[in-house]
Amino acid sequence: MGYRTRMTRALTLAVAAWLIAPTVAAAQERESRKPQTDRTVPVTRGSRLAISHDAGEVVVRTWNNDSLRVRASHSDRVSIDVQTNANIVTIRSKSTGPRGSVDYDITAPAWMPVKVSGQFLYIGIEGAQNEVSAETVRGDIVIKGGSGIVTAKSIHGEIIVEDAKGRINLSSVNEAIRVTGATGEIVAETTNGDISLSKVQAKLVDVATVNGDVLFEGGFSTGGQYRFVTHNGDITLVMPENTGATFGVRTYNGDFQSNLPTKPVGEIRRGRRVTYTLGNGEAEVELESFGGTIRLRRPGTAPVRRQTDKDKDKDKHKDPDSDKQASYSARSATIGSMRAARSAGAAAAIVAHAINSTAIPTRLHGSHGSMRKSMSDKS
Amino acid sequence: MTTSISSGDAFTDRLSDYLDNEDMSVEERATIEAHVSGCAECRATLAELRAVASIAASLPDAPPANDLWAGIANQLPATKSTVVSFRSPQRFSFTLPQLVAAGLALMVLSGGMAWMARRGDPRVTLPPVAGNVQPVAEDESLTRVSFADPQFDAAVADLERVLAEHRSRLDPDTVRILEENLLSIDQAIEQSRKALRADPANVYLNNHFAASRNRKLALLRRASALAIANDPSGS
Repeated sequence: MGYRTRMTRALTLAVAAWLIAPTVAAAQERESRKPQTDRTVPVTRGSRLAISHDAGEVVVRTWNNDSLRVRASHSDRVSIDVQTNANIVTIRSKSTGPRGSVDYDITAPAWMPVKVSGQFLYIGIEGAQNEVSAETVRGDIVIKGGSGIVTAKSIHGEIIVEDAKGRINLSSVNEAIRVTGATGEIVAETTNGDISLSKVQAKLVDVATVNGDVLFEGGFSTGGQYRFVTHNGDITLVMPENTGATFGVRTYNGDFQSNLPTKPVGEIRRGRRVTYTLGNGEAEVELESFGGTIRLRRPGTAPVRRQTDKDKDKDKHKDPDSDKQASYSARSATIGSMRAARSAGAAAAIVAHAINSTAIPTRLHGSHGSMRKSMSDKS
Repeated sequence: MTTSISSGDAFTDRLSDYLDNEDMSVEERATIEAHVSGCAECRATLAELRAVASIAASLPDAPPANDLWAGIANQLPATKSTVVSFRSPQRFSFTLPQLVAAGLALMVLSGGMAWMARRGDPRVTLPPVAGNVQPVAEDESLTRVSFADPQFDAAVADLERVLAEHRSRLDPDTVRILEENLLSIDQAIEQSRKALRADPANVYLNNHFAASRNRKLALLRRASALAIANDPSGS
C-alpha cells in the first residue's frame, strides 16, 4: 500500500469520525439523561390534555387518579411549563437557547382526552378511554386504547392502533398502518405503505393506499359498508365461511381469487365491476386494485406477505434487540438502545436542517421513523 | 355513463352490445330499439348480427378427444376455489367450431361494413334522434374525467408553487419522502390515463383516475400546509 493511499484512508477515517462524533455524543448524552422534570398537578374532570413539541418523544400512560404526572428528560436550558386554561391542560417546553428535544413520560387520568402534536416526534399513548389525537411529521405513532374520535397522522412514520373504539381516522404517507382489535368506524390512508386490519369489528371501513397491500382479518357486520382500495398492491380479506357479504370487485390488470363459497353475479369482464356474494350478502364490500390480486380467504389460508424492498431496508437498520422486547415496561430502555443504533446519517441530516431553521430544534436523536416495535411488541 | 347519440354510426357501434345485452341500461336499450324501428340500415345490420349469433349458437361444442380434466377434477379438494384473471397478457385458444363461427362472423361483418361504406354520404337523413335522447344514467356514479383539466392543472401548479417557496423550511428528508410519494401517485395517474385511453367508457377507470388525481391534490395540500406552518414568516 502506497503512502498516498494510506494518507487518503487516514484522512477519510478522520473526516468520518469528525462527522459522526457529535451525533454519537448526542445520542450518548440522551441515554444518560435522567428526568429533570417530575411534577404532579391535579386536574378537574372534563379537562383535556394538549402537548405540543417539535422533537423527542411523548409517551402518555393512564391511571385512575384525577391528577397528571409529568416527567420529562431534557437539557439544562429547557424547562417544562404546565398550564390549565379553559379546561385545557397544556404542556410546553421553554428554553433559554435553541429548543432541544424533550422526552415526555406522562401519566394522565384515563378519562382525559389527549392531543399530541409535533414535528420529529415519537408518540405513544396507552390506556386512554377518551378521544385521542396524535400528529407528527417524522415518527411513529402507537395508540393503545382510545374511544370516541381517535386520530393519528404522520408523514413518514408507521401508525399502530390497538383496541381503539369509535371513529378511527388514520393517515400516513410513506409508512404502514396497522390496526388491531378496533371497533367502530375506521378510515385509513397511506401512499407508500401497507394497511392491515386484524380482529376488527367495524360497521364502516374505508382504507386506501397506492403502493401497498391491504389485509383485513375480521368480520363484516350486517348492513356494514367496507371499501378497500389499492393501486399497485394486493388485497386480502380473511373471514369466516359463514360471513354474509356482497363483494364488488374491480381490477384492471389483476386477479381475483377466492377459496370461500362465493358466487358470481352476472358476467365477469375485465375492467368491469364484478359482483360476488357470500352467504346472505348483507354487508357491502367494495374491493379495488388496479394491478394487484384480490383474495377472499378462509381463516388460516392467507398468503404469507412478501417482503418488500422497504422492509429489507428497515431490517438492515433494525436494532438487533428490538425483537426481544416483550413488555411495555421495558419500552423506554428499548427506545434508548434503538436511539443509539440510529443511523448517523439520518440524525446528521436532521441536525443540519435544524441549524438552518429556527422552527426546528438544534439537537435531535435519529430518525424516529423506524421506532416501530417499541410499544407494539407488547402484544 | 353519459351517452349522446347523434348518428346511425353511433347506433351500429352499440348494436353488438345491444344484442349481447351487455353494459347497457334499460333507457339506452329503449333508445336503440326506437331508433332501429325507424332505421333500415340498423335493422339490416341487427338482423345480420342475429343471424351470425344464431349460426354460432347452433354449432356443436366438441370437447377435445383426450380430455384430462376428469382425472384432475377427481384429485382436487371438495372446496371450490375461484380464480379469475383480468391481466392483460393472455393466451387465447379456440376450438375448430369456434374458429368457423368467428370466420363466418368476420365475413358477414366485413361485408356489411363494405356495403355501408359504399353508401358513402355521411349526411344520410336520419330520424331526429339526438334532440330527444337524454343522458343515460348508469348504475354506478361515474365521474367522467377529461384528460385536459385546466382546473386540476391550475390547482396543482398553485400548490407546487407554494411548496417550492417554502420547501426550505422542511426537513430535506421529509421533502424527499414527499417527492417520492408524489411520484408514486403520478405513476398511478399515468397508468390510469393509459388504461382509459384504451377503454374510455370504463366506470372503474374513470373513478380511479379521478381518485388518483384527488389524492395528489390532497398530498400537495398537506405538504404545502406543513411547509407554511414551518415558515416563521408565515407568508
